[in-house]
Amino acid sequence: MRLRYCFAGPVLQRLRAGSWIVLAAAAIAAAGCSREDERLQQHREKFESLGSSARVIGEAWLAGSTSGTYTSSALEQTFLLVEKERSTLASSPDALVDSRGAELSQAAERLSRLIAAMTRDVRAADAASVRLHVASIPIKPAESQ
Amino acid sequence: MSAIVDLVLGIVTSIGGFVEAGSISTAAQAGSEFGLQLLWAIAAATVMLALLVEMSGRLAAVSRRSLAAAVRERFGVHFQIVPLTAELLIDVLLLAAEIGGAAIAVKLLTGIGFQWWILPIGLVAWLVLWLCQFGVIEYGLGLLGLVTLAFVAAAWKLEPNVSAVGASLIPSLPTHHHTRYAFLAVSILGATVSPYLLNFYASGSIEEKLNESELWVNRTTAYVGMCFGGVVSMGALVTSAAVLQPRHIVVDSYEQAALMFVPAFGRWAVTLFAASLGIGCFGAAVELALNAGYTFAQVFGWSWGANKPRREAARFTAAFTIVLLASVAVGLIGFDPLRLTMLSVALTVVIMPLVVLPFLVLMNDEKYVKKHTSGVIGNAFLALLTVLGALLALVVVPLELLGG
Repeated sequence: MRLRYCFAGPVLQRLRAGSWIVLAAAAIAAAGCSREDERLQQHREKFESLGSSARVIGEAWLAGSTSGTYTSSALEQTFLLVEKERSTLASSPDALVDSRGAELSQAAERLSRLIAAMTRDVRAADAASVRLHVASIPIKPAESQ
Repeated sequence: MSAIVDLVLGIVTSIGGFVEAGSISTAAQAGSEFGLQLLWAIAAATVMLALLVEMSGRLAAVSRRSLAAAVRERFGVHFQIVPLTAELLIDVLLLAAEIGGAAIAVKLLTGIGFQWWILPIGLVAWLVLWLCQFGVIEYGLGLLGLVTLAFVAAAWKLEPNVSAVGASLIPSLPTHHHTRYAFLAVSILGATVSPYLLNFYASGSIEEKLNESELWVNRTTAYVGMCFGGVVSMGALVTSAAVLQPRHIVVDSYEQAALMFVPAFGRWAVTLFAASLGIGCFGAAVELALNAGYTFAQVFGWSWGANKPRREAARFTAAFTIVLLASVAVGLIGFDPLRLTMLSVALTVVIMPLVVLPFLVLMNDEKYVKKHTSGVIGNAFLALLTVLGALLALVVVPLELLGG
């Protein structure tokens, strides 16, 4: 009976409606956060994959397994994919406001510059410089960090 | 003796012609993202393909009609307009993806942008179709395609865990990225069971004058050839899982996929990968264009045949030329060939019921296959897999396109 009375009261009714709104807002915010986290994780995985690709491409060239033609072409393609991913990341202001997103964006920029430098080094057949750049690739898979 | 030679050639060319842009890209992506976990999808799709290909050969041998001609006769041209239009649209996309794949293969070797190779490759494909008879197209490209056995050799050299490979033949759910997993499973199905293959195989059986007394040749070629072909596709997945996944490389380009050969083949890696990709894609491009000619001619009742002088089959020739031109135009727009491949193989699964379900009806009609009708269990399995695949594709393709 009391429960019914409470729910029937206009003030409590408003409160009840208000609490639903608060709950819904919290749920949406939580979903938004989790979606944002998921999106950041996807970007991170993509950059890790591209960083790892650049490293393997560089190492294969250093080992004499691949030609300069393939290596520079593969690095160029990797560079384009990094740039594409960076622009996708940059198109989401929420991601960049997040400190993890901002950090990822900076690391991706360094990766981009390193790949560009590696491409130039491969064309110049500068193995020492490629080795140096391969060693300083910033985004690495978690286990090897 | 001739039947034995046909059988051996049929099996060998089925193996050589199995792998193309779709199977290489889906296997490479599946292996790099989920390890061996999607091996079951290749196995299931290969069994499905072998069953369907055997049926299409049986239909052609017994009824002397190709799939497109039989569907038109049984259901009427009005019924066929929808599947025909859907199949042709997908074929144009697939053909553009195959030409793009072949162009990327040349790029891997020369370093010159793939867009520059689209037109020359389209022209060479057209010349092959214009100048060569069916046997040369089928056997020549199939034999060259044996270079794709490099995927099996690479997997063998990398010594994968045999029990893990065996366990992966049983479907299991992933711990992460469920949508992506479903999308890749659907794409593997679409890349393996391309609807164009059914009409192409039936038309080829008619070109080679396969008859009812040679049904055993058809059966053996379909089952043995396709199963060994599936092994090549599995080789690509196993190699990718062994080389790329531990390095956290997710395949987003063919350049990355080529890296899977480096530990196994060293300095021959890129050359072998480019040859496998290039020949596989070029062979599939020629088959797709030829099948477009077959399908148009058979639906509209024109004279057709790769063995006929082109003047005697002018509209058939015009049809494959127009489809080839349309695909070259799509390729020249500059779509990323890998993305185009993944999209077109996934869409293939959406339209699959339109092609497979009428075909299953035909395979139970004694007017067409006499006493050689298909069994209930096989038909139910194929119908179920086709409808389930299409429903899954309808859910996951939009999700994948919208970013999961």
